[in-house]
Amino acid sequence: MPGIIIFSEDSMLAAQLMTPALELKQSLNQPITALALSEADAKALAALGADHAVFLQSAGKWVDGCAEAIFAQVNKAAASIVLIGGTLRGKTIAAYVAARMNAGMTTDAKTLKVENGKLLATRVLYAGLALCEEAVVLPAVATIRSRTFLAPPAAATPGTVESVTVETDARVTLGAVSPTGDTGVDITTAGKLVAVGRGFRKKEDLKLAEELAAVLKAELACTRGIAEDEHWLPIARYVGISGQTVKPDLYLAVGLSGQVQHMVGCRESKVIVAVNTDERAPIFEAADYGIVGDLYEVLPLLTAALRK
Amino acid sequence: MPKCLVCYKWTLDEQDIKIKPEDLSLDASRAKGKISDFDRNAIEEAALLVEKNGGAVDALTYGTATVKQSLKDVLSRGPAKVYWIADASAESADAAVTANVLAAAIRKIGPYDLILCGEGSSDLFNQQTAARLSALLGIPCLTFLQKLSVEGAVVSATRKLEDGTEEVSVTAPVVVSVLSEINKPRIPTLKQVLGASKKPNEEIKLADLGLKPEDLVPKATRSSVKGFVMQRKNVIFKESSAADNVAKLKAGLASEGLI
Ligand SMILES: Cc1cc2nc3c(=O)[nH]c(=O)nc-3n(C[C@H](O)[C@H](O)[C@H](O)COP(=O)(O)OP(=O)(O)OC[C@H]3O[C@@H](n4cnc5c(N)ncnc54)[C@H](O)[C@@H]3O)c2cc1C
Ligand SMILES: Nc1ncnc2c1ncn2[C@@H]1O[C@H](COP(=O)(O)O)[C@@H](O)[C@H]1O
Repeated sequence: MPGIIIFSEDSMLAAQLMTPALELKQSLNQPITALALSEADAKALAALGADHAVFLQSAGKWVDGCAEAIFAQVNKAAASIVLIGGTLRGKTIAAYVAARMNAGMTTDAKTLKVENGKLLATRVLYAGLALCEEAVVLPAVATIRSRTFLAPPAAATPGTVESVTVETDARVTLGAVSPTGDTGVDITTAGKLVAVGRGFRKKEDLKLAEELAAVLKAELACTRGIAEDEHWLPIARYVGISGQTVKPDLYLAVGLSGQVQHMVGCRESKVIVAVNTDERAPIFEAADYGIVGDLYEVLPLLTAALRK
Repeated sequence: MPKCLVCYKWTLDEQDIKIKPEDLSLDASRAKGKISDFDRNAIEEAALLVEKNGGAVDALTYGTATVKQSLKDVLSRGPAKVYWIADASAESADAAVTANVLAAAIRKIGPYDLILCGEGSSDLFNQQTAARLSALLGIPCLTFLQKLSVEGAVVSATRKLEDGTEEVSVTAPVVVSVLSEINKPRIPTLKQVLGASKKPNEEIKLADLGLKPEDLVPKATRSSVKGFVMQRKNVIFKESSAADNVAKLKAGLASEGLI
Protein backbone atom coordinates (compact mmCIF):
# COMPACT_ATOMS: atom_id res chain seq x y z
CA MET A 1 0.00 0.00 0.00
CA PRO A 2 1.35 3.44 -0.91
CA GLY A 3 2.33 5.85 1.80
CA ILE A 4 3.49 9.28 2.78
CA ILE A 5 7.14 9.73 3.67
CA ILE A 6 8.70 12.55 5.63
CA PHE A 7 12.34 13.33 6.25
CA SER A 8 14.42 16.10 7.71
CA GLU A 9 17.82 15.99 9.34
CA ASP A 10 16.66 18.98 11.39
CA SER A 11 14.63 17.63 14.35
CA MET A 12 12.39 20.68 14.72
CA LEU A 13 11.63 20.85 11.03
CA ALA A 14 10.92 17.10 10.95
CA ALA A 15 8.31 17.60 13.67
CA GLN A 16 6.76 20.47 11.68
CA LEU A 17 6.51 18.23 8.59
CA MET A 18 4.16 15.99 10.57
CA THR A 19 1.41 18.63 10.32
CA PRO A 20 1.03 18.59 6.51
CA ALA A 21 1.74 14.84 6.56
CA LEU A 22 -1.21 14.23 8.93
CA GLU A 23 -3.45 16.43 6.74
CA LEU A 24 -2.45 14.52 3.62
CA LYS A 25 -3.03 11.26 5.48
CA GLN A 26 -6.61 12.38 6.08
CA SER A 27 -7.28 12.95 2.40
CA LEU A 28 -5.27 10.05 0.99
CA ASN A 29 -5.87 7.56 3.74
CA GLN A 30 -2.28 6.37 3.55
CA PRO A 31 0.12 5.69 6.41
CA ILE A 32 3.00 8.00 7.28
CA THR A 33 6.55 6.72 7.44
CA ALA A 34 9.04 9.08 9.06
CA LEU A 35 12.73 8.70 8.26
CA ALA A 36 15.23 10.02 10.78
CA LEU A 37 18.97 10.14 11.31
CA SER A 38 18.78 9.62 15.07
CA GLU A 39 16.85 7.22 17.24
CA ALA A 40 15.55 10.12 19.35
CA ASP A 41 14.12 11.82 16.26
CA ALA A 42 12.51 8.58 15.09
CA LYS A 43 10.84 8.12 18.48
CA ALA A 44 9.70 11.75 18.59
CA LEU A 45 8.10 11.47 15.14
CA ALA A 46 6.35 8.23 16.07
CA ALA A 47 4.99 10.05 19.14
CA LEU A 48 3.64 12.82 16.90
CA GLY A 49 1.63 10.33 14.87
CA ALA A 50 3.94 8.82 12.27
CA ASP A 51 2.57 5.30 11.80
CA HIS A 52 6.07 4.03 11.37
CA ALA A 53 9.41 5.68 12.05
CA VAL A 54 12.68 4.41 10.68
CA PHE A 55 16.02 5.30 12.20
CA LEU A 56 18.55 5.22 9.36
CA GLN A 57 21.70 4.14 11.10
CA SER A 58 24.87 4.78 9.15
CA ALA A 59 28.57 4.96 9.76
CA GLY A 60 28.93 7.88 7.36
CA LYS A 61 28.54 11.34 8.82
CA TRP A 62 27.82 13.18 5.58
CA VAL A 63 24.09 13.92 5.66
CA ASP A 64 23.66 14.31 1.90
CA GLY A 65 25.22 10.87 1.51
CA CYS A 66 21.97 9.33 2.77
CA ALA A 67 20.08 10.34 -0.35
CA GLU A 68 20.28 6.92 -2.01
CA ALA A 69 19.31 5.20 1.26
CA ILE A 70 16.32 7.52 1.55
CA PHE A 71 15.35 6.71 -2.02
CA ALA A 72 15.47 3.01 -1.13
CA GLN A 73 13.03 3.59 1.76
CA VAL A 74 10.79 5.69 -0.48
CA ASN A 75 10.77 2.87 -2.99
CA LYS A 76 10.04 0.25 -0.35
CA ALA A 77 7.11 2.24 1.01
CA ALA A 78 5.83 2.86 -2.55
CA ALA A 79 5.57 6.50 -1.53
CA SER A 80 2.93 8.62 -3.19
CA ILE A 81 4.13 11.78 -1.47
CA VAL A 82 7.56 12.58 -0.04
CA LEU A 83 7.87 15.68 2.17
CA ILE A 84 11.40 16.81 2.92
CA GLY A 85 12.51 19.63 5.18
CA GLY A 86 13.72 22.50 2.99
CA THR A 87 17.16 23.05 4.45
CA LEU A 88 19.95 23.28 1.88
CA ARG A 89 20.94 19.68 2.60
CA GLY A 90 17.28 18.68 2.50
CA LYS A 91 16.75 20.29 -0.88
CA THR A 92 19.76 18.48 -2.28
CA ILE A 93 18.52 15.14 -0.99
CA ALA A 94 14.96 15.83 -2.14
CA ALA A 95 15.97 16.68 -5.70
CA TYR A 96 18.16 13.57 -5.86
CA VAL A 97 15.36 11.36 -4.57
CA ALA A 98 12.86 12.98 -6.97
CA ALA A 99 15.14 12.26 -9.92
CA ARG A 100 15.64 8.64 -8.80
CA MET A 101 11.85 8.29 -8.44
CA ASN A 102 11.36 9.94 -11.81
CA ALA A 103 9.01 12.27 -9.99
CA GLY A 104 8.18 15.95 -10.02
CA MET A 105 9.06 18.17 -7.11
CA THR A 106 7.87 21.48 -5.78
CA THR A 107 10.34 23.65 -3.88
CA ASP A 108 9.44 25.58 -0.72
CA ALA A 109 5.73 24.75 -0.74
CA LYS A 110 3.68 27.08 1.45
CA THR A 111 0.44 25.10 1.37
CA LEU A 112 -0.25 21.55 0.26
CA LYS A 113 -3.29 19.53 -0.68
CA VAL A 114 -4.18 16.60 -2.89
CA GLU A 115 -6.73 16.94 -5.68
CA ASN A 116 -7.43 14.65 -8.64
CA GLY A 117 -4.34 12.59 -8.11
CA LYS A 118 -2.06 15.60 -7.94
CA LEU A 119 -0.25 17.33 -5.15
CA LEU A 120 -1.16 21.02 -5.26
CA ALA A 121 1.25 23.45 -3.69
CA THR A 122 1.44 27.22 -3.54
CA ARG A 123 4.87 28.70 -4.02
CA VAL A 124 6.62 31.81 -5.30
CA LEU A 125 8.07 32.55 -8.74
CA TYR A 126 10.63 35.13 -9.82
CA ALA A 127 11.96 35.14 -6.28
CA GLY A 128 8.67 36.41 -4.88
CA LEU A 129 7.40 38.72 -7.59
CA ALA A 130 4.54 36.28 -8.18
CA LEU A 131 2.73 33.46 -6.43
CA CYS A 132 1.51 30.42 -8.27
CA GLU A 133 -0.05 27.06 -7.77
CA GLU A 134 2.11 24.14 -8.77
CA ALA A 135 0.41 20.82 -9.48
CA VAL A 136 2.65 17.77 -9.31
CA VAL A 137 1.44 14.36 -10.47
CA LEU A 138 1.83 11.61 -7.88
CA PRO A 139 4.21 10.31 -6.79
CA ALA A 140 5.44 13.75 -5.86
CA VAL A 141 8.16 15.32 -3.75
CA ALA A 142 7.85 18.63 -1.92
CA THR A 143 10.29 20.56 0.21
CA ILE A 144 8.95 22.67 3.04
CA ARG A 145 10.91 25.34 4.82
CA SER A 146 11.26 25.73 8.52
CA ARG A 147 8.29 27.33 10.30
CA THR A 148 5.89 26.97 7.39
CA PHE A 149 3.85 24.76 9.72
CA LEU A 150 3.71 24.34 13.49
CA ALA A 151 4.47 20.92 14.90
CA PRO A 152 1.30 18.94 15.80
CA PRO A 153 0.44 17.86 19.35
CA ALA A 154 1.34 14.35 20.49
CA ALA A 155 -0.75 11.59 18.94
CA ALA A 156 -3.10 9.40 20.95
CA THR A 157 -1.30 6.26 19.81
CA PRO A 158 2.35 6.50 18.87
CA GLY A 159 3.63 4.60 15.84
CA THR A 160 6.22 1.87 15.69
CA VAL A 161 9.95 2.52 15.55
CA GLU A 162 12.47 0.48 13.62
CA SER A 163 16.19 0.83 13.13
CA VAL A 164 17.90 -0.08 9.87
CA THR A 165 21.55 0.05 8.91
CA VAL A 166 22.17 1.94 5.69
CA GLU A 167 25.12 2.63 3.43
CA THR A 168 25.99 6.23 2.67
CA ASP A 169 27.74 7.69 -0.36
CA ALA A 170 31.35 6.64 0.17
CA ARG A 171 32.59 8.60 -2.84
CA VAL A 172 32.50 11.86 -0.91
CA THR A 173 34.90 12.47 1.98
CA LEU A 174 33.71 14.80 4.69
CA GLY A 175 36.43 16.95 6.28
CA ALA A 176 36.19 19.74 8.82
CA VAL A 177 32.74 20.89 9.87
CA SER A 178 32.63 24.39 11.35
CA PRO A 179 29.43 25.50 12.97
CA THR A 180 28.65 29.20 12.60
CA GLY A 181 28.69 31.25 15.76
CA ASP A 182 25.73 33.35 16.80
CA THR A 183 23.26 30.53 16.22
CA GLY A 184 21.56 31.72 19.41
CA VAL A 185 19.75 34.53 17.58
CA ASP A 186 16.49 33.74 15.96
CA ILE A 187 15.33 36.75 14.01
CA THR A 188 12.15 34.93 13.01
CA THR A 189 10.72 35.27 16.50
CA ALA A 190 11.72 38.91 17.05
CA GLY A 191 8.87 41.40 17.38
CA LYS A 192 10.90 44.21 15.81
CA LEU A 193 13.75 44.15 13.34
CA VAL A 194 16.16 46.78 12.10
CA ALA A 195 17.36 45.52 8.72
CA VAL A 196 20.53 46.84 7.13
CA GLY A 197 21.72 46.84 3.53
CA ARG A 198 24.53 47.97 1.31
CA GLY A 199 23.83 51.62 2.13
CA PHE A 200 26.21 51.11 5.07
CA ARG A 201 29.73 51.85 3.92
CA LYS A 202 31.67 49.77 6.41
CA LYS A 203 31.17 47.22 9.11
CA GLU A 204 31.82 49.64 11.98
CA ASP A 205 28.93 51.80 10.76
CA LEU A 206 26.48 49.06 11.69
CA LYS A 207 26.86 50.50 15.18
CA LEU A 208 24.32 53.14 14.13
CA ALA A 209 21.81 50.39 13.46
CA GLU A 210 22.71 48.55 16.66
CA GLU A 211 22.06 51.65 18.72
CA LEU A 212 18.70 52.18 17.04
CA ALA A 213 17.85 48.51 17.57
CA ALA A 214 18.73 48.82 21.23
CA VAL A 215 16.26 51.65 21.88
CA LEU A 216 13.56 49.88 19.91
CA LYS A 217 14.32 46.56 21.59
CA ALA A 218 14.77 45.14 18.11
CA GLU A 219 17.12 42.57 16.61
CA LEU A 220 19.37 43.24 13.62
CA ALA A 221 18.57 41.68 10.26
CA CYS A 222 20.23 42.27 6.89
CA THR A 223 20.28 41.67 3.15
CA ARG A 224 22.09 38.84 1.50
CA GLY A 225 24.99 41.01 0.41
CA ILE A 226 25.73 42.07 3.98
CA ALA A 227 25.85 38.46 5.15
CA GLU A 228 27.09 36.51 2.15
CA ASP A 229 29.42 38.93 0.41
CA GLU A 230 30.61 41.30 3.15
CA HIS A 231 30.34 38.76 6.00
CA TRP A 232 29.43 41.62 8.35
CA LEU A 233 26.60 39.66 9.95
CA PRO A 234 25.93 35.91 10.23
CA ILE A 235 23.82 34.26 7.55
CA ALA A 236 21.17 33.44 10.15
CA ARG A 237 20.33 37.14 10.06
CA TYR A 238 19.67 37.62 6.38
CA VAL A 239 16.16 37.87 5.08
CA GLY A 240 14.78 36.84 1.70
CA ILE A 241 14.08 34.07 -0.74
CA SER A 242 17.30 32.30 0.09
CA GLY A 243 17.41 33.57 3.68
CA GLN A 244 14.94 33.85 6.54
CA THR A 245 11.24 34.64 6.40
CA VAL A 246 10.16 37.05 9.12
CA LYS A 247 6.85 38.61 10.18
CA PRO A 248 7.65 41.14 12.90
CA ASP A 249 5.38 43.99 14.00
CA LEU A 250 8.02 46.45 12.80
CA TYR A 251 10.53 46.00 9.97
CA LEU A 252 12.73 49.06 9.78
CA ALA A 253 14.80 48.81 6.60
CA VAL A 254 17.85 51.05 6.45
CA GLY A 255 20.01 51.55 3.35
CA LEU A 256 18.52 48.60 1.56
CA SER A 257 16.95 48.88 -1.86
CA GLY A 258 14.02 46.51 -1.39
CA GLN A 259 14.57 44.10 -4.28
CA VAL A 260 11.92 41.43 -4.53
CA GLN A 261 14.36 38.68 -3.49
CA HIS A 262 14.74 40.42 -0.17
CA MET A 263 11.17 41.63 0.29
CA VAL A 264 9.66 38.18 -0.14
CA GLY A 265 11.16 37.36 3.25
CA CYS A 266 9.68 40.33 5.13
CA ARG A 267 6.60 41.48 3.28
CA GLU A 268 4.22 39.99 5.78
CA SER A 269 5.60 42.31 8.45
CA LYS A 270 2.90 44.41 10.09
CA VAL A 271 4.55 47.79 9.59
CA ILE A 272 7.47 48.41 7.21
CA VAL A 273 9.58 51.55 7.52
CA ALA A 274 12.29 52.61 5.08
CA VAL A 275 15.24 54.96 5.32
CA ASN A 276 16.95 55.45 1.99
CA THR A 277 18.64 58.26 0.07
CA ASP A 278 17.04 57.24 -3.20
CA GLU A 279 13.42 58.29 -3.45
CA ARG A 280 12.90 55.84 -6.29
CA ALA A 281 14.20 52.80 -4.40
CA PRO A 282 11.56 50.03 -4.54
CA ILE A 283 11.59 49.83 -0.74
CA PHE A 284 9.41 52.96 -0.55
CA GLU A 285 6.62 51.26 -2.48
CA ALA A 286 6.73 48.49 0.07
CA ALA A 287 6.85 50.78 3.07
CA ASP A 288 4.16 52.18 5.35
CA TYR A 289 6.43 54.99 6.46
CA GLY A 290 9.65 56.22 4.99
CA ILE A 291 12.27 58.88 5.24
CA VAL A 292 14.14 59.93 2.13
CA GLY A 293 17.51 60.77 3.58
CA ASP A 294 21.03 59.78 4.44
CA LEU A 295 21.11 57.06 7.07
CA TYR A 296 24.25 58.59 8.53
CA GLU A 297 22.20 61.65 9.39
CA VAL A 298 18.80 60.06 10.01
CA LEU A 299 19.74 57.16 12.28
CA PRO A 300 21.47 59.16 15.03
CA LEU A 301 18.53 61.61 15.05
CA LEU A 302 16.00 58.80 15.15
CA THR A 303 17.82 56.98 17.91
CA ALA A 304 18.01 60.19 19.96
CA ALA A 305 14.34 61.02 19.33
CA LEU A 306 13.20 57.56 20.41
CA ARG A 307 15.33 57.70 23.54
CA LYS A 308 13.38 60.71 24.76
CA MET B 1 43.43 19.69 -16.25
CA PRO B 2 39.73 19.48 -15.70
CA LYS B 3 37.21 19.46 -18.49
CA CYS B 4 34.42 21.65 -17.20
CA LEU B 5 30.85 22.21 -18.31
CA VAL B 6 28.75 25.08 -17.03
CA CYS B 7 24.97 24.79 -17.25
CA TYR B 8 23.34 28.19 -17.50
CA LYS B 9 19.78 29.34 -17.96
CA TRP B 10 18.61 32.27 -20.05
CA THR B 11 15.87 33.90 -17.99
CA LEU B 12 13.77 37.04 -18.08
CA ASP B 13 15.06 39.89 -15.99
CA GLU B 14 12.48 39.99 -13.22
CA GLN B 15 13.14 43.67 -12.66
CA ASP B 16 11.44 44.37 -16.00
CA ILE B 17 8.36 42.31 -15.23
CA LYS B 18 5.38 44.42 -14.27
CA ILE B 19 2.28 43.35 -12.42
CA LYS B 20 -0.94 44.43 -14.13
CA PRO B 21 -3.13 46.08 -11.50
CA GLU B 22 -6.42 44.91 -13.13
CA ASP B 23 -5.92 41.19 -12.69
CA LEU B 24 -2.47 40.85 -11.10
CA SER B 25 -1.24 39.01 -14.16
CA LEU B 26 2.39 39.45 -15.15
CA ASP B 27 3.43 41.64 -18.04
CA ALA B 28 6.77 40.43 -19.31
CA SER B 29 6.45 42.12 -22.70
CA ARG B 30 9.22 44.53 -21.86
CA ALA B 31 11.43 42.11 -19.99
CA LYS B 32 14.87 41.55 -21.43
CA GLY B 33 16.75 38.30 -21.16
CA LYS B 34 19.73 37.70 -18.91
CA ILE B 35 21.99 34.88 -17.88
CA SER B 36 20.44 33.74 -14.61
CA ASP B 37 22.27 35.62 -11.83
CA PHE B 38 24.03 32.79 -10.01
CA ASP B 39 24.95 31.09 -13.27
CA ARG B 40 27.31 34.00 -13.87
CA ASN B 41 29.13 32.87 -10.74
CA ALA B 42 29.24 29.31 -12.05
CA ILE B 43 30.67 30.51 -15.37
CA GLU B 44 33.22 32.69 -13.60
CA GLU B 45 34.27 29.85 -11.29
CA ALA B 46 34.85 27.51 -14.23
CA ALA B 47 36.83 30.22 -16.01
CA LEU B 48 38.97 30.82 -12.92
CA LEU B 49 39.62 27.10 -12.41
CA VAL B 50 40.79 26.69 -15.97
CA GLU B 51 42.95 29.80 -15.84
CA LYS B 52 44.63 28.25 -12.81
CA ASN B 53 44.73 24.54 -13.67
CA GLY B 54 44.50 24.42 -17.43
CA GLY B 55 41.77 22.34 -19.02
CA ALA B 56 38.73 23.68 -20.82
CA VAL B 57 35.26 25.08 -20.21
CA ASP B 58 32.20 24.52 -22.32
CA ALA B 59 28.75 25.90 -21.63
CA LEU B 60 25.34 24.29 -22.11
CA THR B 61 21.88 25.79 -22.11
CA TYR B 62 18.34 24.60 -22.81
CA GLY B 63 15.66 27.15 -23.54
CA THR B 64 13.20 28.47 -26.07
CA ALA B 65 14.32 30.10 -29.33
CA THR B 66 15.43 33.13 -27.29
CA VAL B 67 18.50 31.26 -25.94
CA LYS B 68 20.30 32.26 -29.11
CA GLN B 69 20.50 35.76 -27.65
CA SER B 70 22.68 34.43 -24.85
CA LEU B 71 25.46 32.86 -26.88
CA LYS B 72 27.73 35.87 -27.30
CA ASP B 73 27.19 36.93 -23.72
CA VAL B 74 28.19 33.56 -22.30
CA LEU B 75 31.19 33.19 -24.59
CA SER B 76 32.50 36.60 -23.57
CA ARG B 77 32.64 35.35 -19.98
CA GLY B 78 35.18 32.60 -20.55
CA PRO B 79 33.81 29.36 -22.04
CA ALA B 80 35.50 28.17 -25.23
CA LYS B 81 32.34 26.74 -26.75
CA VAL B 82 28.63 26.82 -26.08
CA TYR B 83 26.12 24.07 -26.81
CA TRP B 84 22.51 25.16 -27.02
CA ILE B 85 19.18 23.41 -27.23
CA ALA B 86 16.34 25.63 -28.38
CA ASP B 87 12.93 24.03 -28.14
CA ALA B 88 9.42 25.21 -27.34
CA SER B 89 9.20 22.51 -24.65
CA ALA B 90 11.46 24.65 -22.45
CA GLU B 91 8.63 27.11 -21.92
CA SER B 92 6.80 24.73 -19.59
CA ALA B 93 9.68 22.48 -18.61
CA ASP B 94 9.89 21.59 -14.93
CA ALA B 95 13.07 20.59 -13.15
CA ALA B 96 12.53 16.94 -14.13
CA VAL B 97 12.32 17.72 -17.85
CA THR B 98 15.22 20.18 -17.68
CA ALA B 99 17.43 17.63 -15.95
CA ASN B 100 16.42 14.91 -18.43
CA VAL B 101 17.36 17.14 -21.36
CA LEU B 102 20.62 18.40 -19.84
CA ALA B 103 21.69 14.91 -18.75
CA ALA B 104 21.02 13.52 -22.22
CA ALA B 105 23.01 16.36 -23.77
CA ILE B 106 25.90 15.77 -21.38
CA ARG B 107 25.95 12.08 -22.29
CA LYS B 108 26.20 13.12 -25.91
CA ILE B 109 28.87 15.84 -25.66
CA GLY B 110 30.69 14.65 -22.52
CA PRO B 111 32.22 13.24 -20.49
CA TYR B 112 33.16 16.17 -18.25
CA ASP B 113 35.14 16.12 -15.00
CA LEU B 114 33.27 18.97 -13.44
CA ILE B 115 29.71 20.06 -14.18
CA LEU B 116 28.84 23.42 -12.63
CA CYS B 117 25.42 24.88 -11.90
CA GLY B 118 24.21 27.96 -10.08
CA GLU B 119 22.65 27.67 -6.66
CA GLY B 120 19.21 28.24 -8.16
CA SER B 121 17.71 29.79 -11.27
CA SER B 122 16.49 33.34 -10.81
CA ASP B 123 13.01 32.66 -12.19
CA LEU B 124 12.02 29.28 -10.74
CA PHE B 125 14.67 28.96 -8.02
CA ASN B 126 13.89 25.25 -7.89
CA GLN B 127 17.36 24.48 -6.58
CA GLN B 128 16.98 21.02 -8.06
CA THR B 129 18.98 20.77 -11.25
CA ALA B 130 22.44 19.94 -9.84
CA ALA B 131 21.21 17.13 -7.59
CA ARG B 132 18.94 15.76 -10.30
CA LEU B 133 21.82 15.72 -12.79
CA SER B 134 23.93 13.79 -10.29
CA ALA B 135 21.19 11.18 -9.90
CA LEU B 136 20.66 10.86 -13.64
CA LEU B 137 24.36 10.72 -14.49
CA GLY B 138 25.23 8.52 -11.53
CA ILE B 139 27.97 10.81 -10.26
CA PRO B 140 28.31 12.57 -6.88
CA CYS B 141 27.03 16.02 -6.15
CA LEU B 142 28.35 18.85 -3.99
CA THR B 143 25.89 21.72 -3.58
CA PHE B 144 26.00 25.27 -2.22
CA LEU B 145 29.73 25.81 -2.52
CA GLN B 146 31.50 28.90 -1.31
CA LYS B 147 34.93 27.56 -2.31
CA LEU B 148 36.10 25.15 -4.95
CA SER B 149 39.49 23.82 -5.96
CA VAL B 150 40.78 21.05 -8.19
CA GLU B 151 44.01 19.14 -7.84
CA GLY B 152 44.55 16.36 -10.30
CA ALA B 153 41.32 14.39 -10.21
CA VAL B 154 40.40 15.50 -6.69
CA VAL B 155 37.77 18.18 -6.31
CA SER B 156 37.72 19.85 -2.89
CA ALA B 157 35.08 22.28 -1.78
CA THR B 158 33.61 24.18 1.13
CA ARG B 159 29.83 24.07 1.41
CA LYS B 160 27.99 26.79 3.25
CA LEU B 161 24.86 25.60 4.98
CA GLU B 162 22.43 27.06 7.51
CA ASP B 163 24.35 25.81 10.51
CA GLY B 164 27.92 26.28 9.30
CA THR B 165 30.38 25.15 6.72
CA GLU B 166 31.64 21.71 5.76
CA GLU B 167 34.71 20.67 3.82
CA VAL B 168 34.13 17.92 1.29
CA SER B 169 36.24 16.25 -1.33
CA VAL B 170 35.57 13.78 -4.09
CA THR B 171 37.22 12.28 -7.13
CA ALA B 172 35.90 13.67 -10.43
CA PRO B 173 33.50 13.46 -12.19
CA VAL B 174 31.18 15.49 -10.02
CA VAL B 175 28.27 17.92 -10.31
CA VAL B 176 28.46 21.06 -8.20
CA SER B 177 26.30 24.09 -7.48
CA VAL B 178 27.89 27.36 -6.42
CA LEU B 179 26.81 30.27 -4.23
CA SER B 180 27.11 33.87 -5.36
CA GLU B 181 29.81 34.57 -2.80
CA ILE B 182 32.24 32.14 -4.44
CA ASN B 183 33.52 34.89 -6.75
CA LYS B 184 32.72 38.19 -8.38
CA PRO B 185 31.81 37.59 -12.03
CA ARG B 186 33.94 39.61 -14.42
CA ILE B 187 32.48 42.33 -16.58
CA PRO B 188 33.62 41.22 -20.03
CA THR B 189 36.12 43.56 -21.65
CA LEU B 190 35.63 44.83 -25.17
CA LYS B 191 38.29 42.38 -26.29
CA GLN B 192 36.44 39.49 -24.66
CA VAL B 193 33.18 40.62 -26.22
CA LEU B 194 34.78 40.81 -29.66
CA GLY B 195 36.56 37.50 -29.09
CA ALA B 196 33.24 35.86 -28.27
CA SER B 197 32.03 36.13 -31.86
CA LYS B 198 34.95 34.01 -33.01
CA LYS B 199 34.23 31.20 -30.57
CA PRO B 200 32.14 28.23 -31.72
CA ASN B 201 28.56 27.51 -30.77
CA GLU B 202 26.75 24.30 -31.59
CA GLU B 203 23.05 23.64 -31.66
CA ILE B 204 21.88 20.31 -30.30
CA LYS B 205 18.49 19.24 -31.57
CA LEU B 206 16.22 17.85 -28.90
CA ALA B 207 15.21 15.10 -31.33
CA ASP B 208 18.82 13.89 -31.46
CA LEU B 209 19.05 13.26 -27.73
CA GLY B 210 17.23 9.92 -27.77
CA LEU B 211 14.74 10.99 -25.11
CA LYS B 212 11.42 9.21 -24.77
CA PRO B 213 8.32 11.37 -25.20
CA GLU B 214 7.46 10.95 -21.49
CA ASP B 215 10.87 12.37 -20.52
CA LEU B 216 9.68 15.67 -21.93
CA VAL B 217 6.32 15.79 -20.15
CA PRO B 218 6.56 18.07 -17.12
CA LYS B 219 5.45 16.44 -13.88
CA ALA B 220 4.99 19.80 -12.21
CA THR B 221 2.79 22.38 -13.92
CA ARG B 222 2.19 25.93 -12.81
CA SER B 223 -1.17 27.65 -12.84
CA SER B 224 -2.86 30.77 -11.49
CA VAL B 225 0.31 32.83 -11.59
CA LYS B 226 -0.49 36.08 -9.83
CA GLY B 227 1.75 39.01 -9.06
CA PHE B 228 2.14 39.67 -5.38
CA VAL B 229 1.00 43.13 -4.39
CA MET B 230 1.29 44.66 -0.99
CA GLN B 231 -1.12 47.17 0.41
CA ARG B 232 1.04 49.66 2.25
CA LYS B 233 0.42 53.16 3.55
CA ASN B 234 3.34 54.72 1.63
CA VAL B 235 3.61 57.75 3.92
CA ILE B 236 6.98 59.12 2.87
CA PHE B 237 8.70 62.05 4.60
CA LYS B 238 11.07 63.93 2.34
CA GLU B 239 11.44 67.41 3.77
CA SER B 240 14.89 68.92 3.66
CA SER B 241 15.11 68.88 7.44
CA ALA B 242 16.02 65.39 8.62
CA ALA B 243 14.94 66.34 12.14
CA ASP B 244 11.41 67.15 10.95
CA ASN B 245 11.23 63.89 9.06
CA VAL B 246 12.37 61.99 12.14
CA ALA B 247 9.77 63.72 14.32
CA LYS B 248 7.02 62.76 11.87
CA LEU B 249 8.23 59.20 11.68
CA LYS B 250 8.25 59.00 15.45
CA ALA B 251 4.63 60.19 15.51
CA GLY B 252 3.78 57.57 12.89
CA LEU B 253 5.40 54.79 14.90
CA ALA B 254 3.54 55.97 17.99
CA SER B 255 0.21 55.92 16.13
CA GLU B 256 0.89 52.29 15.22
CA GLY B 257 1.53 51.47 18.86
CA LEU B 258 5.10 50.47 18.09
CA ILE B 259 6.81 52.79 20.56
C1 LIG C 1 18.18 34.20 -7.03
C2 LIG C 1 18.49 35.32 -6.10
C3 LIG C 1 18.23 35.18 -4.75
C4 LIG C 1 18.48 36.23 -3.87
N1 LIG C 1 18.15 36.08 -2.56
C5 LIG C 1 18.26 37.13 -1.73
C6 LIG C 1 17.84 37.04 -0.37
O1 LIG C 1 17.38 35.99 0.10
N2 LIG C 1 17.96 38.13 0.42
C7 LIG C 1 18.46 39.31 -0.04
O2 LIG C 1 18.52 40.28 0.73
N3 LIG C 1 18.88 39.43 -1.32
C8 LIG C 1 18.80 38.38 -2.17
N4 LIG C 1 19.22 38.50 -3.45
C9 LIG C 1 19.88 39.77 -3.85
C10 LIG C 1 18.86 40.88 -4.17
O3 LIG C 1 18.46 40.76 -5.51
C11 LIG C 1 19.47 42.25 -3.99
O4 LIG C 1 20.61 42.35 -4.79
C12 LIG C 1 19.86 42.56 -2.56
O5 LIG C 1 18.79 42.30 -1.68
C13 LIG C 1 20.24 44.02 -2.46
O6 LIG C 1 20.89 44.25 -1.23
P1 LIG C 1 20.97 45.70 -0.61
O7 LIG C 1 19.59 46.28 -0.54
O8 LIG C 1 21.74 45.55 0.63
O9 LIG C 1 21.90 46.50 -1.62
P2 LIG C 1 21.54 47.53 -2.77
O10 LIG C 1 20.53 46.99 -3.69
O11 LIG C 1 22.85 47.95 -3.31
O12 LIG C 1 20.87 48.75 -2.01
C14 LIG C 1 21.53 49.67 -1.22
C15 LIG C 1 20.55 50.80 -0.96
O13 LIG C 1 21.11 51.69 -0.01
C16 LIG C 1 20.76 53.01 -0.38
N5 LIG C 1 21.78 53.91 0.21
C17 LIG C 1 23.06 54.09 -0.18
N6 LIG C 1 23.67 54.95 0.64
C18 LIG C 1 22.77 55.32 1.58
C19 LIG C 1 22.80 56.19 2.69
N7 LIG C 1 23.92 56.86 3.02
N8 LIG C 1 21.69 56.33 3.42
C20 LIG C 1 20.54 55.65 3.11
N9 LIG C 1 20.45 54.82 2.06
C21 LIG C 1 21.55 54.65 1.31
C22 LIG C 1 20.76 53.02 -1.90
O14 LIG C 1 19.92 54.04 -2.38
C23 LIG C 1 20.20 51.62 -2.20
O15 LIG C 1 18.80 51.65 -2.37
C24 LIG C 1 19.02 37.46 -4.35
C25 LIG C 1 19.31 37.58 -5.69
C26 LIG C 1 19.05 36.54 -6.56
C27 LIG C 1 19.35 36.71 -8.01
N1 LIG D 1 17.27 25.36 -18.83
C1 LIG D 1 18.49 25.26 -18.29
N2 LIG D 1 19.59 25.18 -19.08
C2 LIG D 1 20.82 25.04 -18.54
N3 LIG D 1 21.05 25.04 -17.21
C3 LIG D 1 20.00 25.13 -16.38
C4 LIG D 1 18.66 25.25 -16.86
N4 LIG D 1 17.82 25.33 -15.80
C5 LIG D 1 18.60 25.28 -14.70
N5 LIG D 1 19.91 25.16 -15.03
C6 LIG D 1 21.07 25.09 -14.11
O1 LIG D 1 20.62 24.59 -12.86
C7 LIG D 1 20.78 25.57 -11.85
C8 LIG D 1 19.66 25.49 -10.85
O2 LIG D 1 18.42 25.73 -11.46
P1 LIG D 1 17.04 25.41 -10.73
O3 LIG D 1 17.08 23.98 -10.35
O4 LIG D 1 15.99 25.76 -11.74
O5 LIG D 1 16.99 26.33 -9.54
C9 LIG D 1 20.89 26.89 -12.59
O6 LIG D 1 21.58 27.84 -11.81
C10 LIG D 1 21.64 26.46 -13.85
O7 LIG D 1 23.02 26.31 -13.56
